Amino acid sequence: MTGLGTLFRSAGVTGFLHAVDVDTGAEVAHDADDAVVTASMFKVALLVEFFRQADRGLLDPAERVTVMADRHTPGATGVSAMSDDVTMSLRDLAYLMMAVSDNTAADTLMDRVGLSAVNTMLAGLGLTGTRVEHDCRGLFASIVEDSGQEEMPTDPAVLARLRALDPARTNRSTPRETTRLFGMIWRDEAASPRSCAAMRRLLGLQVWPHRLAAGFPYDDVAVSGKTGTLPTIRNEAGVVEYPDGGRYAVAVFTRSYGTAHNQPRADAVIGAAARAAVERLRG
Amino acid sequence: MDIVRHLRYFTVVAEELHFGNAAIRLGMAQPPLSQRIRRLEDELGVRLFDRSARQVRLTEQGRMLLPEAREIVSRVERLRELAGRGEGAVLRVGVLPDLGSAVIAALIAGFRERAPDVRPAPAEMWSADQVAALLDGTLDVGVVRHPVAVPGLRFGPVLVQRPGVVLAESDPLTASASVHLADLAGRRLVLYPHEPGLHEETLTECRRHGFVPEEVHEAQTLGLVMAGTAVAFGPQVALPGLRWRPLLGTPLTWQVSTAWRGEPGEAAVAFGAVAVRVLKENAGMTDDGVAPARRVRARPASGFLA
Repeated sequence: MTGLGTLFRSAGVTGFLHAVDVDTGAEVAHDADDAVVTASMFKVALLVEFFRQADRGLLDPAERVTVMADRHTPGATGVSAMSDDVTMSLRDLAYLMMAVSDNTAADTLMDRVGLSAVNTMLAGLGLTGTRVEHDCRGLFASIVEDSGQEEMPTDPAVLARLRALDPARTNRSTPRETTRLFGMIWRDEAASPRSCAAMRRLLGLQVWPHRLAAGFPYDDVAVSGKTGTLPTIRNEAGVVEYPDGGRYAVAVFTRSYGTAHNQPRADAVIGAAARAAVERLRG
Repeated sequence: MDIVRHLRYFTVVAEELHFGNAAIRLGMAQPPLSQRIRRLEDELGVRLFDRSARQVRLTEQGRMLLPEAREIVSRVERLRELAGRGEGAVLRVGVLPDLGSAVIAALIAGFRERAPDVRPAPAEMWSADQVAALLDGTLDVGVVRHPVAVPGLRFGPVLVQRPGVVLAESDPLTASASVHLADLAGRRLVLYPHEPGLHEETLTECRRHGFVPEEVHEAQTLGLVMAGTAVAFGPQVALPGLRWRPLLGTPLTWQVSTAWRGEPGEAAVAFGAVAVRVLKENAGMTDDGVAPARRVRARPASGFLA
């Protein structure tokens, strides 16, 4: 679709998009089957497996765990940024993982749920192009190993050798499979209806306004989603719900040519492209 | 269109039934692979793969054409073997068009001297096009302007260029010996096309220093500047109708390096060495060491795995 290609290019990024009507299956696709780096969006797959294990009685979402301050995963939000030991329930950690992309919360849940269980679940749902290779800790370690530094790099030569930015060697998906997973959560197919409702609530509590939500500045439209961010990678996927009952799963993945950490135009084009796609679906 | 190569892509995707895996096997990125397949489908006027389902499947026509495609690919491979790969070695080189004919000629002459057995095949291309060509293997080595952030590319030593501003000789700003970015307010700006990383960084820096261009044009030449309707950034030029002035405080830093994919061949290494020397001697570039590294003040919304 040339319109979306132009939109992405004018924002200095390469973009990949899939938008689908959750109920009719009508879709808009732009390189929607390409392998893309998910960055933090793997936390959605982790969330699904967490609730499926709760459904099977393998874990109690209300169980309280203590996260020690000296065992935090790097990150600028939530428990990751806190100074002291924290005791909270598993499901509240899940809340922080979705609301502010808390890496320590995610790793604590991953330790409980198991990385291979997440991948088994994805394969079972037929999402064969979606895979979790690392938790946040593992991703961070690979970046430090490849770059030789703890800060997120901006040097193109360093970025070019990061495994974390190569879809073949890091957490990956495709835009189409990402919207499929969101569609399943919204249609109560990803887990029990009760668990799917809990996941929808958490995805609706995400705080970031600058990407997907920026494309839908309407009081009567709900935007739920999960971002993904790494150097040059700006993503968000979620579901947009209109007052007439129309609901659309949208996944937008971008990769910028520039290496600056602040990429306001890449952030904004995620909303703009999503809106263009949803408007096309709504006719 | 190199139909044999496209047919080879088709056979590999047909074996893998997964664009990502096929791209890995072919040692290329996925987007160019998808484009190639689409182009082949256009050329043949059929759909080879059904991509509407969540899995990639061969269409009926794709299934029918696959044995033919395999046959053609293997016969051409055999032909190449028999011919012993024919002509001498060629190094396909990409160079930035704005380097100018003198610099490009010096690059070619320097390389010929150093590697007389290899024929250089230069192509003038902007950075984004070079990156695409390096990734799909149609270019061996390039001279690109940063930032280009692409997994799998490797870069030679980074050289720095400090552009000034190119003005029409009628512009009142030519009265001063140097120009501040903010002095350019209200003017239009010409930027090179297909340099998306540089485009972003340059505009960010302009806005930061008080120059919000009225309009941004992408153009290869300085015609708009000569016509007095825009300004441009670049190295010193001496052309009738144009004046070049340094920018106060050198707010813009352009970085240029050679780039290649995987392990560089001997010829590519030789070209890299020549390029560094020529860019320093003939294009006034300097070592990266002089460029101040910007300290990143991290923000939560753009931090690690936000």
